[in-house]
Amino acid sequence: MSITLTLRILRSRRDVMPHYETFEVSVSDAANVLDAIEQVWAHRDRKLMFRHACHHASCGTCAVRINGREKLPCIVPVADYSGKPLTIEPLRNFDIVGDLVVDMAKFFQNQQASDFVITRPTENELVGKPIAYTGGMDPESASTIPFNRFENCVECGICLSACPTMAGDHKFFGPAGLAAIKRQLDKTTDPVERKRLLELADGEHGVWRCHSAWECTEACPQQVFPAESIMALRKEITKKHFRELFGK
Amino acid sequence: MSLIPHVIVIGAGSTGSATAHDLALRGLRVTVLERGEIASGTTGRNHCLLHSGGRYCVNDKEGAIECIRENLILRRIMPHALELNDGLFVAVSDEDLAFKETFLAGCAECHIPAREIPVRQALEIEPFVNPDIRAAVQVPDGVFEPWRFCASFLATAIKNGAAVRNFTEVKDFIFQGHTVTGVTVLDHRTGETETLGADMVVNATGAWAGIIAAMAEVDVPVVPTAGVMVTIGERFNNMVINRMHLPHDGDIVVPIRNTSIIGTTSWRVTSPDAIEIPREQIDSMRQAGELLMPILKAGRQRGIMAVARPLISKANADARAFSRTFEAYNHRSQGAAGLVTISGGKTTTARGMAEKVSDIVCGELGIDAPCKTRTTPLVSYREFYN
Repeated sequence: MSITLTLRILRSRRDVMPHYETFEVSVSDAANVLDAIEQVWAHRDRKLMFRHACHHASCGTCAVRINGREKLPCIVPVADYSGKPLTIEPLRNFDIVGDLVVDMAKFFQNQQASDFVITRPTENELVGKPIAYTGGMDPESASTIPFNRFENCVECGICLSACPTMAGDHKFFGPAGLAAIKRQLDKTTDPVERKRLLELADGEHGVWRCHSAWECTEACPQQVFPAESIMALRKEITKKHFRELFGK
Repeated sequence: MSLIPHVIVIGAGSTGSATAHDLALRGLRVTVLERGEIASGTTGRNHCLLHSGGRYCVNDKEGAIECIRENLILRRIMPHALELNDGLFVAVSDEDLAFKETFLAGCAECHIPAREIPVRQALEIEPFVNPDIRAAVQVPDGVFEPWRFCASFLATAIKNGAAVRNFTEVKDFIFQGHTVTGVTVLDHRTGETETLGADMVVNATGAWAGIIAAMAEVDVPVVPTAGVMVTIGERFNNMVINRMHLPHDGDIVVPIRNTSIIGTTSWRVTSPDAIEIPREQIDSMRQAGELLMPILKAGRQRGIMAVARPLISKANADARAFSRTFEAYNHRSQGAAGLVTISGGKTTTARGMAEKVSDIVCGELGIDAPCKTRTTPLVSYREFYN
């Protein structure tokens, strides 16, 4: 069954002042909001700029604000809104490239600053059931490369958009970057690397800038819990400062 | 004026991205033109399956051999964009069990490492697989993240001098006589139209290859064939779970991060843009997926995606019977010298596709530069933004 949906999209371009434009589209009742945005592009205005790739919350590209809330529209069913009009806006706290597209350059530089690796070793259980591994089938590294997982963070930028501190201090390192530092810290025992990571998170635009609004954790679609990571980093950094004070 | 030839690559999916990387490594000046976000076509919405080739080792050996070769190369050049947990082919029915010897022979013939493991052991590794399975074979399947797959190739191409212009749409070809000498583009960022000169143009637009080729009044036999995939919001399998039979709807569950993706159906479409998702296909595929892993019935549906694959039409066959291999077309003989199309194939084989089309480009330009992509590690996808 198809339903008719009204989308009010915030449009802007280098030569076009920001304004809202309203579109009506027909989509399947099984569709997600991203499908509706794509229908606007396909059947109403081929100039609409929006980012999307995987359509299953793995790439992190499609993040926008729907009715004022940061979301990955690829996993938000249109049915959730019962046919009510949707206002679609780009993420906040980023520069706008055009329409719903924001500039991710600085975001990715901060993600990279900690050398955050997007994969991690796997758990030994699935949904609470233990699993017993055999050796892998890669002929060159059957026993050397353990099975792995992608990290939960899809680097979508939602937490930066939701963050009130970010709105007041554009130099703030941001929840995603700080959470990445925490994950990288968990993965290493090397004292030099640990020191580097803690120094990266420290400072007036680092963990201490956060106002503990917890909006990042609230908005994150991937259970990354950036606010908890920021608090954990504060503890680690405080411990480090104390140790340094006593010459250890 | 630079003396180094300039090549325009249209499309920043897996094929275009890998082609830009290959050509930049060979020392050419490269500009990638993509009408939207990178990987926003077929590559983005694919199954994320790094094929071992097991899926094609019986009915499409050529495709299977390409898959295992490229699988092993990608493990070396982009380990940062892969989840490597192998794959398990399971026999659910008597017919599947009878197919086992054919399957193992196919793997052997295509040089796909395959190991039969006892059912009891398979169920210890994968506790949520149908407990009634009759046989299980482990193969080196894997999982990639499609956007990062493309961004890794493009970041490396940029490092080697390539320019990538997304949100820049090709509107027409420029001809001098029977030779393509450039393109007209619309930059969606600025709203401006401009022309770009090129010594060669590569049409790497996958399922859209026919539409782009038509702008130059040439043909490519690409049939856009849609597929639907359903993402379940929980991960129930460590390995990729495949049904041990000839490829069919709903016979594979690909785990990625904290989700499981059930796939896939197959039907022909006339236009590859914004495909409507038929609800009955979702239901039938979920049922087929539940046969492999009954727990999927309880899983919460997280996402649904539909996209067109670029299948190369070689005969009047149904969509599943097409080979998943790729083809390059030099349009010189059709009156469009300087234009080459590369289509078909799969994301897993994108590097091989890039090698093939780059060989043609270099041949046309009279450049003797060997392909170096088999052994060149890619830089981090994050450097795409540097």
